[in-house]
Amino acid sequence: MSSPTHLNPSGSSRPNGVLHGLLALDQVAIDVSVSSKKRLMEEVATLLIRGNSSLNKDTVFHLLVARERLGSTGIGHGIAIPHARLNGIQTPTAAVLRLTRPLSFDALDGEPVSLVLALVVPADATETHLQILAALAKLSDDPARRADFHAATSCDDLFNLLT
Amino acid sequence: MKIVILGAGQVGTSMAEILSLEANDITLIDRNPNQLEGLQDRLDIRTIIGNGPHPNILEQAGIEDADLLLAVTDHDEVNMAACQIAHTLYRTPKKIARIRATEYLTHPEIFCNESIPIDFIISPEQIITQQILALIENPGALQVVEFAGGRIQLVGVRAYFGGPLVGHELRDLRKHLPMINTRVAAVYRHDRPIIPLGETIIEPDDEVFFIAAKAHIREVMSELRSVETPGRRVILAGAGNIGLRLARTLEDNDYRVKLIERNPERIREVANLLEDTVVLHGDAADQELLWQENIDQTEVFCALTNADEANILSGMLAKRLGAKHAIALVSRSAYVDLIESSVLDVAISPQLATVGTLLTHIRRGDMVAVHSLRRGAAEAIEAIAHGDPATSQVVGRRIDEISLPPGTTLSALVRGDDVIIAKGSTVIEAEDHVIVFVIDKQRIPEVERLFQVAATFI
Repeated sequence: MSSPTHLNPSGSSRPNGVLHGLLALDQVAIDVSVSSKKRLMEEVATLLIRGNSSLNKDTVFHLLVARERLGSTGIGHGIAIPHARLNGIQTPTAAVLRLTRPLSFDALDGEPVSLVLALVVPADATETHLQILAALAKLSDDPARRADFHAATSCDDLFNLLT
Repeated sequence: MKIVILGAGQVGTSMAEILSLEANDITLIDRNPNQLEGLQDRLDIRTIIGNGPHPNILEQAGIEDADLLLAVTDHDEVNMAACQIAHTLYRTPKKIARIRATEYLTHPEIFCNESIPIDFIISPEQIITQQILALIENPGALQVVEFAGGRIQLVGVRAYFGGPLVGHELRDLRKHLPMINTRVAAVYRHDRPIIPLGETIIEPDDEVFFIAAKAHIREVMSELRSVETPGRRVILAGAGNIGLRLARTLEDNDYRVKLIERNPERIREVANLLEDTVVLHGDAADQELLWQENIDQTEVFCALTNADEANILSGMLAKRLGAKHAIALVSRSAYVDLIESSVLDVAISPQLATVGTLLTHIRRGDMVAVHSLRRGAAEAIEAIAHGDPATSQVVGRRIDEISLPPGTTLSALVRGDDVIIAKGSTVIEAEDHVIVFVIDKQRIPEVERLFQVAATFI
């Protein structure tokens, strides 16, 4: 399947998935079962810190929660893009979680969330980082891609769809 | 929001009650089954019997999913332990505790994640003391709440014959007070809100809420009722925590305070803690005693005992004997509705006074202050506007371009050190603190949404 063209962190155009270079296979999880937004954010933090050994899980967790309080990152159609700015990192890192049970998320369209695309970016986030986030946000507009995400049967599948 | 409340005393129960009316998921823990009896049926909450700080009890209460722990038992140490355990074992994002002992409160540095992880300390006694002090400082006001660290005040006042603005259009306020920036946020007539417009004519008995810089409050008030020179004589009835605290605060502000208390033991305790206050033994409903203490030359009489009925009666008596203003602490909301502005000047509900502080942490968006007004029916909030024109519904927009829920007024902004009283043409900038008056609390979710940033805000 074709992915739209995106800018990578160096600014050049690339035909790869939105999270190419920002996501490792061990930052992808399917069949995640959580009972609340708070626990989801703990899981998200657990996966995010695998991308950078200097990250602290508690810090990432609290920043994600703090950002969520300013406004939900549920972008509609069951997708959320929780994210945070973080001191002390140079490059962004991502995590992807698919939930077994959709979770109430205070999203724009009121739909519960089942796919979570999370991102942490350096504190002095640049235009490039904003574009990654905007590209993630756009994914919810594409019914075909949403169907692909739901149809993925393994972490590898989901990983390949996004990188 | 998922909230675990520890301690079903007066504070815990009333907070559970108020918060459960707002689509929160609440579990209340207490070790005493009697305290919880009936609550589960009467309120839409879960109750758990057990020793709150114990991890198994917290887990039973759903702490692992909770966004907020509210530890409000009568014991500071229990509250601290509960927050510590919630933080260490469950990473609970927000922990609020009631801490009363000044021995702890004078060392705020102990309350941090590395030591005792409490995000916010509530002291109902302190909140109530501040509110009463503000009322004493502004005689004739029904309610005074502060924003922006006290630089802006929102004042509710009843209009009387003799006030220069009474019988005039609101727009005349500017002619009367050309040098003063103020804005009327709401007017209540016969208990019903009317949206204030320039041509609204203020009638006697209207309840007017206006916002202004603290230094201008008195002048605006004098437009609505005949001017009063505030006297310095205050009589307090009841030397409990609030009575003692208020007496000390008033001493510091050069008031002449008399404190009446029935219990001789308590008198000995508090007399040592007070400097200039005259502590008297007796019953506040004793006419002879009030006469002896020159009640007719008293500016404000405050009834602050634990008993609603005693407070109401002694307040009424004081007023009849000539006290200029009478304020009573009244817990039962039914009583508050009944008496305020008729037999007494102001009835303060400890619950409503305290709940605003909690709502600040429960409301979505970046809230700095939330104040419950008009016995909980209305609300005034201070919210921070984040984002840019693309990710915010308010930033970069003129106030008259923002689609506000009905009955909502953006009254003032604080930008850095500047206080800006809002006009239609005022443009909101990122990081402005915006003071919003919401006539109907049902509209709060819409106001929250207005200040929330878009999902792509980073």
